[in-house]
Amino acid sequence: MSAASEAAAVGDGPGWYLYGVVAAGEAPAQLNAAPAVDPRHQVVVLAEGPLAGVASRVSLQEFDEGSLPQRLGDAAWLEEKIRAHEQVLEDVLATASVVPCRFCTVYRSEDDLRLFLSEHGDALSEALERVAGRVELGVKAFVDHDRFASGGALRNESVRELTERVSGAEGGRAYMESRRLEQLVTDELMRFKGDVGAELHARLSGVAEDALTLPLRRPEVSGREEEMLFNGAYLVGDRARFEQELGAFVDDHREDGIEVDLTGPWPAYNFVPAGLGGP
Amino acid sequence: MSVDERHVLQQHQVTLLELVDRVLNGGVVLSGDITLSVADVDLVYVGLRVLVSSVATLEEQRELALEGALR
Repeated sequence: MSAASEAAAVGDGPGWYLYGVVAAGEAPAQLNAAPAVDPRHQVVVLAEGPLAGVASRVSLQEFDEGSLPQRLGDAAWLEEKIRAHEQVLEDVLATASVVPCRFCTVYRSEDDLRLFLSEHGDALSEALERVAGRVELGVKAFVDHDRFASGGALRNESVRELTERVSGAEGGRAYMESRRLEQLVTDELMRFKGDVGAELHARLSGVAEDALTLPLRRPEVSGREEEMLFNGAYLVGDRARFEQELGAFVDDHREDGIEVDLTGPWPAYNFVPAGLGGP
Repeated sequence: MSVDERHVLQQHQVTLLELVDRVLNGGVVLSGDITLSVADVDLVYVGLRVLVSSVATLEEQRELALEGALR
């Protein structure tokens, strides 16, 4: 069945959801592994000149400006669509480089989508060249306060001395000293977080094609009890070398109570132009 | 809830948040016919908070049920 007759069969307003853009020559022949954001339709590759859009039909009732704000407040709907968006792109990423689109980029017709691809061909080709053969990796580092206090913090002489005094003190004095120690460790941790975050970012930037830092997340959002001290994204060509450097960093900081999370490979969401084509 | 189950649930939540940060704040923003506005993205985070808290609540409820069963 052709795309057009399929849409007519569903019959509730054809729109096109664009997941990302690939080079026409690299475009996967078949993309059936992941369900589309509208699971009644298949993900297809629409070639336009040297580029191709990875897209699928969506109901405009579901994705139009009028109904979108309401949908976005629906957590279940949102999770399903966000995961579908990512899954489709991960399928593409397995065989081709891709410029990922932001969530919910929708065109009212296939012609509008094709017009966009041809109008912005140069900028899109440039963005594609930049991510070709590379993936995005995410690195987050966390620090455990207690493990830091009994490990890395002891490199500071004042902390070391006070820790010894606290263990020898008794009663009210012990209380006062341990309060002072706590403050000292907190100050030391503040300093350490800045230093170690900068060190990690510098080391990883050296083995990546591009790098940026992302906002730190609070524990209730990060899902971890430890405090997040660093959040970065990297555009990486040589993954083995990158992971080796990350491993070396972890080895160098065994005593410091640091844990590191590596995520990806992601489509290069953070390394494509934020704006294209203007408002 | 076993440690393993909780771990899976947390992982699920963490990857979703990671995903939301990327899919909503990253990616090329096109002059599509329909694209998300900043206000829309704020809405998404409101929706997401509901999602995150519902995962946390589910976890608490299961823990309470488990404690009840042990008494």
